Amino acid sequence: MANPLRAEVAQLYKTLLFLGREYPKGADYFRDRLRAAFAKNKDVRDPEKIKELISRGEFVVKELEALYYLRKYRALKKRYYETE
Amino acid sequence: MRICSLVHCGSGLRNMAARIIARCVRSLNQRSVYFNRVNTAATLTAAPLTHGRTFSHLTNGHKSSLAQISGGSFQVFQWRQYGDLPPLSLETIHDRVLYVLKLYDKINPERLQATSHFMKDLGLDSLDQVEIIMAMEDEFGFEIPDAEAEKLMTPHEIVQYIADKKDVYE
Repeated sequence: MANPLRAEVAQLYKTLLFLGREYPKGADYFRDRLRAAFAKNKDVRDPEKIKELISRGEFVVKELEALYYLRKYRALKKRYYETE
Repeated sequence: MRICSLVHCGSGLRNMAARIIARCVRSLNQRSVYFNRVNTAATLTAAPLTHGRTFSHLTNGHKSSLAQISGGSFQVFQWRQYGDLPPLSLETIHDRVLYVLKLYDKINPERLQATSHFMKDLGLDSLDQVEIIMAMEDEFGFEIPDAEAEKLMTPHEIVQYIADKKDVYE
């Protein structure tokens, strides 16, 4: 249990869960998918592999942030310019 | 709970009562008692206030929490509730923690005890534990660092931790 990467994984899960609250399809949808994604790799023991998976999770974090940014941008654009 | 006598014009009082009631409805679990009392206070005072009776003498240096209405045979308890929540005690923290846990869909409310271990007794995994800690952060409005969050494994430990952070000792 004293895996040093454990805290990092928990942190990643927490960050993703937090971001998922604003997910367009709903927080519950996101949470189920997120949990499935984490549970799928629960038996991975190799530290290198875990690190790789964590960096993939961080990539997803960035993607989500970009998604929200774009959503915000589009909403503002729609309000200020009526037609494309 | 801060208590002071509130003497106001009729519409102001009704406004305030409405606001208090609205807030009480939001957090039904522990404040239903106040809801009832404020509600009765509002209805009791509504009648004399509409007759334009003045109560200005009550406001001058009257520090008592009771506003005794002259002529009436009843005493009115009135609340002025400010923007903060009522002060926490170990009991209220305990109740709120258990309330949040009962609402968590993977926990069986009947098996939940203050000392039950999330993983050993309730069959949750570490991801559930992270979710529970996040729910506690939302409920109590402060952040729990990860290093300490992973040690919180029973409702009792969570209560102790929150009481510690919020300087609650009795």
